[in-house]
Amino acid sequence: MTKVPSELLYTKEHEWVRQEDGLVRVGITDYAQEELHEIVMVELPSVGTRVKVGDVFGTVDSVKATSELFSPISGEVVEANEKLEEAPELVNNDPYGEGWMVAIKSSAPDELKGLLSAADYEKFIEGLEK
Amino acid sequence: MTSSQLLTTHLHDWHVAHGAKMVEFAGFHMPLWYKAAVPEHLATRTAAGIFDVTHMGRAMITGPEATQYLEYLLPTRIQRLETGEGTYSTFCTMKGGIVDDLFLFRLAENEYYVVVNGANRKKDFAWMNKHADGFKVKVANISDITPMFALQGPAAVMILQKLTTTDLSSVPRFSSIQIKLDGHEVIATRSGYTGEDGFEIAQLNVSLDEKEKAVNLWNRILDKGQEEGLVPVGLAARDTLRLEAGMVLYGNDINEQTSPYQARIGFIVHLKKKTFLGREALVTEKQEKPQQLRIGLIMLGKGIPRTGNPISSKGEMIGEVTSGSISPLIKKGVGLGYVQRAFRKSDTLVHVEIGKRKRWAEVIHPKRMLSRLKALASSKN
Repeated sequence: MTKVPSELLYTKEHEWVRQEDGLVRVGITDYAQEELHEIVMVELPSVGTRVKVGDVFGTVDSVKATSELFSPISGEVVEANEKLEEAPELVNNDPYGEGWMVAIKSSAPDELKGLLSAADYEKFIEGLEK
Repeated sequence: MTSSQLLTTHLHDWHVAHGAKMVEFAGFHMPLWYKAAVPEHLATRTAAGIFDVTHMGRAMITGPEATQYLEYLLPTRIQRLETGEGTYSTFCTMKGGIVDDLFLFRLAENEYYVVVNGANRKKDFAWMNKHADGFKVKVANISDITPMFALQGPAAVMILQKLTTTDLSSVPRFSSIQIKLDGHEVIATRSGYTGEDGFEIAQLNVSLDEKEKAVNLWNRILDKGQEEGLVPVGLAARDTLRLEAGMVLYGNDINEQTSPYQARIGFIVHLKKKTFLGREALVTEKQEKPQQLRIGLIMLGKGIPRTGNPISSKGEMIGEVTSGSISPLIKKGVGLGYVQRAFRKSDTLVHVEIGKRKRWAEVIHPKRMLSRLKALASSKN
């Protein structure tokens, strides 16, 4: 079963967003990692990069294809998961935990209102599977 | 196309029962991977892998003028092949473009076995039949009654040896033998599409109605290879294996607009032959030297080249990527592509433009790609 933790927010580009103390942590969903299958390379922005909502901030490569990562929110990248450099498979093994990608200090917290709830995201991926 | 409209191989139900992710390839419903491509790839490099390659096309060419026919049809020298010997070759158009690449084996004085790409089956048989006019020759399509497996990897020969008393180690590279494996008649050729040692095995006279015969042989080989670490391998790893070995994929790296010289497989062209299809164009091309040449690419840092990515040098476009993926050996991107002649030399540094970024890559002759990757992999460990 595809996991969609209820406490997170989601995008239609299959990213999840976790609100933490003053920042948001971002990764790709269980559905996304299953679809991509073996993730062999992850490229993330350096700390300090400024992103706007919808910007491409990185790429994820599977054996078959390259996919872009779109920022779910505007702000400044304050952390990037360096472990993924050596162990991109963490995204497959633990997409909501050790496979997180970046933490962003939001400059427009209102943007979070535009994201999907877990229930809405579940409906969205059910629609894709039909 | 839905899966019910696709062709199936004798092994189809076995693949499904073993959890393979199934995809359409060359009109067949084929396994992309069983568990995952990278471990299947690495098992083939370090131990052995077995591949269902029944989707490929197989022809038997016989008749008193079989040799003359093939000398005309192919740019390669055929006459000198001893019984059992084989060669890589291509069908060429009058313009010297590649209709398909193939392997050919001389089974007897007037009997040849030809293996072509699955995706080109129809086109190739039409081509072979069209040009057979005027020769005393018969081109038989045996694809549907010859399930075909590839057994590849450093342990492949040792594993196969357990199923026959014929000494397999004495079969030269690119040669064939007809033997019985566990009671099944096969043509076994010491060839493959991975850069590793091994055999490709076509089981003779087994129609889809008797598919259990193919499943039995497949299972017997898997069983015999258990202690060596033999695993079934899907198409995704087949692609990364051939890519690391710098081998061309028809439709990606070669087509009717590329010639053997551009693709740097010119060794198959024997211009001393006075008559063969495409000769005039190839003579001219050799004299004028092709301006675009196929190269291998090894990424220096991040980024994975993909088909269609531009290749540039100092901001100028010099070519294009035709195949690319991860190299499981070095965990970096590798690719094949074509560049202007001046940039063909090994160690030339070029940019591959991936998305909006320019990534450094090292050029290497496709033939030397696998040995370089293996050296890089062992220095890393």
